[in-house]
Amino acid sequence: MRLTIRITAAVMLGIVLIFSLYSYLSIQREREQLKKNLSREARNLGEALLFIVEDLLVVRGEDAAMAFLARRNQLNPALQARWVWLDAPTGSRFHPLVEISELDALARRKPLSLMVSSQNGHDFLLTYLPTLSKDGRLGAIEVRESMDELHGYVQESMRRSAMVVGAAVVSGLMLMAVLGSLWINRPVRHLREQAERIGTGDFSARVQVGGRDELGKLAHTIEQMRSQLALAREAEEQATREKIETLETLRHTERLATLGRLSAGMAHELGTPLNVISGRAKLIASNELSPAEAAHSAQIIGEQAERMTRIMRQLLDYARRGESRKQRVNPCELLKKVVELLASVAQKQRVEITLECPEDPTPYVRADPAQLQQVLLNLALNGIQAMEQGGELSLGLRIAEPWVQLQVRDQGRGISAEDLPHIFDPFFTTKEVGRGTGLGLSIAHGIISEHKGQIEVQSTPGQGSCFLVNLPAFEVGAADEV
Amino acid sequence: MIDSLTEKADQRPPCVLIAEDDQALRELLAFALYRAGFSVASCNNGLRLLEMLENGIDDRSTAVDIVITDLRMPAMTGLEVLQALFDRPERPPVICMTAFGDAKTHQTAIRYGATHTIDKPFDIDEMIELVRAVCKHKKITKE
Repeated sequence: MRLTIRITAAVMLGIVLIFSLYSYLSIQREREQLKKNLSREARNLGEALLFIVEDLLVVRGEDAAMAFLARRNQLNPALQARWVWLDAPTGSRFHPLVEISELDALARRKPLSLMVSSQNGHDFLLTYLPTLSKDGRLGAIEVRESMDELHGYVQESMRRSAMVVGAAVVSGLMLMAVLGSLWINRPVRHLREQAERIGTGDFSARVQVGGRDELGKLAHTIEQMRSQLALAREAEEQATREKIETLETLRHTERLATLGRLSAGMAHELGTPLNVISGRAKLIASNELSPAEAAHSAQIIGEQAERMTRIMRQLLDYARRGESRKQRVNPCELLKKVVELLASVAQKQRVEITLECPEDPTPYVRADPAQLQQVLLNLALNGIQAMEQGGELSLGLRIAEPWVQLQVRDQGRGISAEDLPHIFDPFFTTKEVGRGTGLGLSIAHGIISEHKGQIEVQSTPGQGSCFLVNLPAFEVGAADEV
Repeated sequence: MIDSLTEKADQRPPCVLIAEDDQALRELLAFALYRAGFSVASCNNGLRLLEMLENGIDDRSTAVDIVITDLRMPAMTGLEVLQALFDRPERPPVICMTAFGDAKTHQTAIRYGATHTIDKPFDIDEMIELVRAVCKHKKITKE
């Protein structure tokens, strides 16, 4: 709309200027013409009167000539004629209406016309026609004509011009309002709506503005942009879909692999005690055992059943880990607790535990303290068990942007390169049967992943292993996750 | 001299060497086989098994007639022991126990020289029958 207003204003201004100039010039010309006519008229009248007055002055005297002029003036008050003597003193009734100095031309016997303004604002055209009397005095007929008629005419002309300009402006405005709305506003509004829709990501509707003008071309360009964007988005969505499908397939494959490992682990862990139970039961059933032998077998059956129960429970713990309750945790405090809890076990195995925590600034993490403690206890216990000959278990804490890194380092037997990729698999264990189910590290891995962290291991067989737990640092103001 | 030694070996009960890291299962096998009339020795890892096969059980006079071994064991796995024994003609027949049970594991064990493979959990009577059958087969082959 603004554009239309601006264009309209400019056009209107031009029209008004041209019209005004034209009117001004015409009025000026008419005015000149009119003045010329008036002055000619006055001169004609003056010449006629001059003849008569000259004769009257000669034949009947000055008084009769003046009386004639007075009578003549009564006929047409707009055109007054008077006799003047150029040598008449100021204030006498024969003194001209203007100063003598302005009437130099009369001395050369030439008629003269000039405009004069009276004190009450009226304009007059004064026409002097000179003549010499018998006694050589310079006299003249002074014709005074009011210019009010001329002014009225000029004012009328100006009023008409103003009306024409006004009418032109009003009709021009109306025309521009209609055409501007039709040619500019409507297509521009349409384009704006389309562009806004494209901006919000809706590429569905085609951009359609007809015509071959600039707006039509702009619409064409926007339409091209829209279709390209739509194509690009289509391609992106397709790519995303494919990616998701691939991920799904991968996840499915991974699930199957996990299930396979889990089944193999279950088979191994539960197969052996089941074997013992069925064998012992058969021995008892054969009725060939002494009472003491039968009792011993029954006791073994009980132990094996208990062992299976323990495995089942751990497996269930692994499968349905409870929802974690995360809060601001000082990992250093947790490490200290772990050191206290393991002090007696470590002493028995001749393991010395050292702890290194930076005091300032204290790095905080967002974690479930119970779960994190379980992870650290598990790693530390593994470390102690790996050092059959004793040694040093060092626990440490450091900031490794963006992580807070917890370290559990032992000097035990280490992990072989072929075992290393499998240590976080469920049921993977290198410990002797009965000492571990192979679930501890997979549970630890699960907990740390759930905390959006990482767990890594570095190990050299014969020299020891180092487990690194990376946890995201606690951020003030982060929303509590449940 | 050779005949009399053979005769002597025939008279004593066949000796079964069990290698299994799970104590309860090891004891069960030993007990059941002993009751079935076998002479039994046992160990809890692959390395010890290999040592006992190399050096004899108590002294060099006691030869191992048959070996029952788990596949997954500390120190040395059952498969590794089989590999180590592979090019010895006098090695005793080996029965492998496995909990993994997939065909590939069985095939690998057989390829490495195992006489039989058996899935855990197994029926203890079946195991005794299998040991008896293997012993009988060995005897017939010898004769």
